[in-house]
Amino acid sequence: MNCEESKELLVAYFEGLLEDSEQKAVEEHLKDCPACQADLQELTGLHDRLVTNGKALAQCNLEKDVMNQVIREQNVRLKATTRATEALKIRRTIMKSPVTRIAAAAAVIIVAALGINSIMAPSVTWAQVIEPILNARTVVFDLIIGGEDSGMVSHEIVIGSRIRRTMSNMPNMTLIIDMDNARMLALDTVGKTAIYTDISGDLGDSTRSYIKFVREIITQLQDGQVEHLGEQVIDGQKAVVFVGKGHNEQVTFWADPQSARLIRVEAKIGQDFSFVMKNFEFDANVDESLVSMEVPEGYTQKENDIALGNATEEDFVESLRIWAQIIGDGTFPAAIGTEATMQQMPTLVQKVTAMQVSEEKGTRIGMSFAKGMLFHQIQESQGQWKYTGAGVKLGDASKVVFWYQPQGSQSYRVIYGDLSVKDVAEENLPK
Amino acid sequence: MSENDKFYVERCLDGHPDDFRYLVRRYQGVLLANLAGKLGSRDRAEEAAQEALVRAYFNMGKLRKPDSFFSWLLGIADNVAKEHERKDQIQRQREIVRSSLQESSGTELSQDYALESAIAELPEAYRQVILLRYYGGHSCGQIAEQLDMPLGTVTKTLSRAYAMLRESLQQQKQAEVYEV
Repeated sequence: MNCEESKELLVAYFEGLLEDSEQKAVEEHLKDCPACQADLQELTGLHDRLVTNGKALAQCNLEKDVMNQVIREQNVRLKATTRATEALKIRRTIMKSPVTRIAAAAAVIIVAALGINSIMAPSVTWAQVIEPILNARTVVFDLIIGGEDSGMVSHEIVIGSRIRRTMSNMPNMTLIIDMDNARMLALDTVGKTAIYTDISGDLGDSTRSYIKFVREIITQLQDGQVEHLGEQVIDGQKAVVFVGKGHNEQVTFWADPQSARLIRVEAKIGQDFSFVMKNFEFDANVDESLVSMEVPEGYTQKENDIALGNATEEDFVESLRIWAQIIGDGTFPAAIGTEATMQQMPTLVQKVTAMQVSEEKGTRIGMSFAKGMLFHQIQESQGQWKYTGAGVKLGDASKVVFWYQPQGSQSYRVIYGDLSVKDVAEENLPK
Repeated sequence: MSENDKFYVERCLDGHPDDFRYLVRRYQGVLLANLAGKLGSRDRAEEAAQEALVRAYFNMGKLRKPDSFFSWLLGIADNVAKEHERKDQIQRQREIVRSSLQESSGTELSQDYALESAIAELPEAYRQVILLRYYGGHSCGQIAEQLDMPLGTVTKTLSRAYAMLRESLQQQKQAEVYEV
């Protein structure tokens, strides 16, 4: 072996990686070559120096500091997470938890009670606009909950009385809602789990798919009043505008002036719930199996014994408690309602996960939260109510958090910061 | 070294932030070695290493290949170092450290700034191998596996890295002689 060959193998040699024969050959060469010996010595020196320094640095302990910072910052970020785009960052966390699978599902069931006032004659153009909606068997569209910049887009595939729904802030979750049988199937496409939830009762009765909801408005508008607002530019195109008003909702339609194709629908329900529908495709060729209520192959069915229908005031109080205690660390939120509920869902999951409760208990918390919020959804579309809890501390009996007028009642129900509830006459309502 | 990086990366992404600690344990020494040479003091290196780790955690979603967590982490650390770097400041600190080391004979912290800054100057491919071997506790075989290269390439890269380190240390020594 010559110096060249020996140099080549020197590192492997002192790392002990050489085969016996090569090892011996290098040793033989080293015996007779002072230059290579010196080389090896220098290499060993450098090696020792690296080892010593490596050991010194290995004594450091960043673990505690880093983990503390990660957890602290995670909390800060969660607090700042009011926008759904932020929620995307922790979406994987969410998807693993059974809590939101159900809770999120519950939060987006829409209860819509209608009361459009009827007056006027239909216009020809209006009839053209609504024709596809009334006759379509399938509809595909995007639904934006809250304002256009909320970032919460729900993609809806409607086939007959079933809906398949996927939401942008919970991308691995699919809901299939069967209106006829008041059942909902929630699928976690990552965790491969499936949960059935009963939505019968008042919820099932008054729950409509958005499209059915619009369809009903249209049917009522056909015999009634729809205001033609002329032309506008919307989503970058020219459109004719129609507005229909009920006593509790207002729905605006934009359609192509030439083809009468529906471009966009905006609905405002109650005092602060709104949604936008766009990217319509009527009678799209969509597969029936997309709305199958069977548990897909490879999915595990998980049990859930909480039904979402017939939510009561008690359920609502419980969800206020969860909101203040778990999500708000002891303070009631700035706002409640469908949009706020959806936005806060990731935070709830994160906090429940941090509480390290059993899966069963976690699911229960999520379901209770959603169920109570559904009670609020009914108020949102039916009655008079007001949320005044922003910043109120949980337990503060002197502050009013919420009041509403139950249907058919003369008096009002008032919920206080300690979650006690009292009957109050109209004149005594907090201003 | 029970589980590979990919395992822990996925655990973190699946909502187990606590498992990030295993990656911290695995790479804190490596990061410190990488940063100490760049930033000139152990305190600053620790600060930057911590920042890099936290940043890595919160950006984990952007890591396309969980297998390459280490290279990716090193990239983040380099960025953090760049941000922290104020050339003149470092220079000043290096001077201070050198003189204090000479005074106290440098045994207290057993830190070797000359060596660390030589490592910091290595081109990335060589730096990675040195960091993994001496600061990450990897054997040559494990490096081969982690960086997905043949064992022979690892020893050749090491060999070249040693040569560069020696040269760089030699130059530093001469510079000091002239300074004194």
